[in-house]
Amino acid sequence: MSKGVQIAIGAAAIAALLGWWGSTQMEAGLSFQYFQELDQFQANAGDMVGRSARVHGYVANSSIERDVEGKRVLFSVQNDPPHGGGPVGQTLAVVYESLETPDLFQDGAEVVVEGQLVLNRGARVFVADNVLAKCPSKFEAQAGPAEKSSIEL
Amino acid sequence: MTDLGLYALRLGLLICALGIGAGIFAGLAHREDWTRVTERAVILVFAATSLAMLALFWALGTNDFSLEYVAAHSARTMPLHYRLGALWGGQAGSLLLWGWMLTAYAAVAIAGNRTQNRKLMPWVCVAMLSNVAFFLYLVNFETPPFAEVPHTNRLSDGNGLNPLLQHPVMMIHPVMLYTGFTGFALPFSFAFAALVTGELGTTWFRTTRRWTLFAWSVLSVGIMLGGRWAYEVLGWGGYWAWDPVENASLMPWIAGTAYIHSVMIQEKRDMLKTWNLVLIGLTYGLCLFGTFLTRSGVVQSVHAFANSDSFGRLFLFYVSIMLVAFIAALLFRLPNLRSGNKLESILSREASFIINNWIFMAILFVVFVGTMFPVFTEALGGVRRILGPPYFNTFAGILALLLLVLTGVGPLIAWRKASVASLRRQFVVPATVGAATAIGVIVLFGFSPGYWAISAWGLGAFVLTTIGQEYTRAISARTQRRGESVGTALATLLRRNQRRYGGYIVHAGVVILLLGISGAAFNTEKLENIRPGDSTTISDFRLHYLTADPIPAQHYGGAKARLALYRRGDRDGHSGTPLAVMTPEKRFYWLEQQPNSIPAIYSSWREDLYVILTQLEPDGSGTFKIYHNPLVNWGWSGGVIFVIGCLIVLWPHPTGEAGSETSA
Repeated sequence: MSKGVQIAIGAAAIAALLGWWGSTQMEAGLSFQYFQELDQFQANAGDMVGRSARVHGYVANSSIERDVEGKRVLFSVQNDPPHGGGPVGQTLAVVYESLETPDLFQDGAEVVVEGQLVLNRGARVFVADNVLAKCPSKFEAQAGPAEKSSIEL
Repeated sequence: MTDLGLYALRLGLLICALGIGAGIFAGLAHREDWTRVTERAVILVFAATSLAMLALFWALGTNDFSLEYVAAHSARTMPLHYRLGALWGGQAGSLLLWGWMLTAYAAVAIAGNRTQNRKLMPWVCVAMLSNVAFFLYLVNFETPPFAEVPHTNRLSDGNGLNPLLQHPVMMIHPVMLYTGFTGFALPFSFAFAALVTGELGTTWFRTTRRWTLFAWSVLSVGIMLGGRWAYEVLGWGGYWAWDPVENASLMPWIAGTAYIHSVMIQEKRDMLKTWNLVLIGLTYGLCLFGTFLTRSGVVQSVHAFANSDSFGRLFLFYVSIMLVAFIAALLFRLPNLRSGNKLESILSREASFIINNWIFMAILFVVFVGTMFPVFTEALGGVRRILGPPYFNTFAGILALLLLVLTGVGPLIAWRKASVASLRRQFVVPATVGAATAIGVIVLFGFSPGYWAISAWGLGAFVLTTIGQEYTRAISARTQRRGESVGTALATLLRRNQRRYGGYIVHAGVVILLLGISGAAFNTEKLENIRPGDSTTISDFRLHYLTADPIPAQHYGGAKARLALYRRGDRDGHSGTPLAVMTPEKRFYWLEQQPNSIPAIYSSWREDLYVILTQLEPDGSGTFKIYHNPLVNWGWSGGVIFVIGCLIVLWPHPTGEAGSETSA
């Protein structure tokens, strides 16, 4: 057996070991999240209860309530941009257990909420542990499709 | 002036196409006169794209808002340097920059090969021009930077640059990334030329070595500066988030780092010939793929979502053509790529370099899978799934530790087969120091830092000791044998053997950078709502919230909080002098209608205190996010040492024959 083959077998063994070790690490609460659009998410809501998820949507107009005492922010998200004029559709109530909202978080902002869906006396509430916001889409209307006010590398 | 730019781009594309034709003919017919023609075509394309660059700079500088690009990315109120920097703030401009840089590298290659590598040159030109042609096609027909706003829609001012990009680092970070990405086109083209012509010796990579190292160094610095920008601007208290955009720049770096290590094995031992060609193809392919990833919207990223389907398809088409052509040439020459030597022992430098390459490939695999996971899972099962930072940290982290072991072992272990005696001579002291350091960390902090930080310190100490040992031995050999002073000996060492001893400094920089990252094991953060006059504590600091003042109106307004920072030990905090007055800002950019939080950072060699004004609440209190990040400055210092090492390696050699004595 040549040295190259020996090394290859050794490396494969180490890689398998590492993969196994890593997967045990991942199971200990470091697992992946599901990423969905809001309407997709609403459609499978039954399956999604209690699972780590990332949901993409838009902040519904005048839905943001900052509860400074309770250290949380309440808002709801909808599937389409509110200034687009389309139907509001089914909104999802979000409880964000932090006051740390991103700069671009405002009415109509495109957001990704990370957390999980819980059932609170039959009502669906998304408990977010992280909220990411993107530029509101009114900027995008002014420029061509590839020319948004976004950061491009 | 803008018309000039427009026509320069049209003409550039035309000459490009002619140059490719001339190059193929020259290569096939072995015609030196036609080789000169294709080389002149490259120079002309370089001139044409330079003219277009100047025209766009001119339009940005003179506020020519009749151009869509200028109107979308610049504004009168922006200072001149940000207006000019807007050239790479948007899609069209940055594609032009890409194309221009490719032509610049091609021109450099031609200037350096007027009398050598004549057989390779037509194919080098063909490969470079084919890349240039794609970018010139884009800026001519897909996203033209000189497109005009229809007369009826013209405004007297522009939209302005995204406020997040209005930062000094953003003036250079994208340029450095592009310099790195495009720089790999040069070894790629030489490799392609070598495959086509069958000149498969070491010439193709020796000729391009300096420019490859240059591109690699600049790419490294560009990535680090990106982290610095994220830290100072994005306001989430960290510098690396495994975001797809970041990964897009990291992947070519990983492949490129593997490449610059493994070509040394071919140079010294005539092994890994095929592998090196694969690696350079992979590296350049990943440069293109990364650019595709961030521009096509394939992967959702927090900070890049330019979405354009036709653009994505074009780019993918182009990347495929480049790679298919390269792989086809490689398969064609495969029978001629036999290694001159076989691996003799696992305890040898060759083996350690090969393992180093595999670990780099494993890290690349981890990052690639993690980045593309949403795309794969959507294609397979419908629901996008995302692998977060824990996945990357777990897998890339452990692999980085293995790499750290090899950083110490690789440069010192003997070629061919190491004897037990030589292993003892090289590694007893460093291994002892490393073990002692790891134990020291455990004694001081217990196991709380976690396996990664403890191992990083132990292995870091091991590597730094091997480097120290190498320097001490080499210097004392010179001082004893030739009676040189320590300073002279060091200078001679760095000059005579710049690749080896500069390389060690690069390694030291990486180790110190990793130690800085290990500080994250001790990070703490808190969110606190405080009223003016009240205090909050974190780690052994106390922050006393003084006031919030309006920011004097300029092209942005907003509020600035003032917090006095004290060490918690000072009982009489109020009367004592504070360490600093921290002023995090909450800005609002009028024109862009965009808020932006500017963190305040108190930085020392031990730790950073990082404060963000999240919100001024209606009741007069302020909500602050406070991070205590130990050792962050070690990371940046490691970066500086890294750059010094790169400069030593790249420094023009007095005799013109760089690093002739080297072996590392």
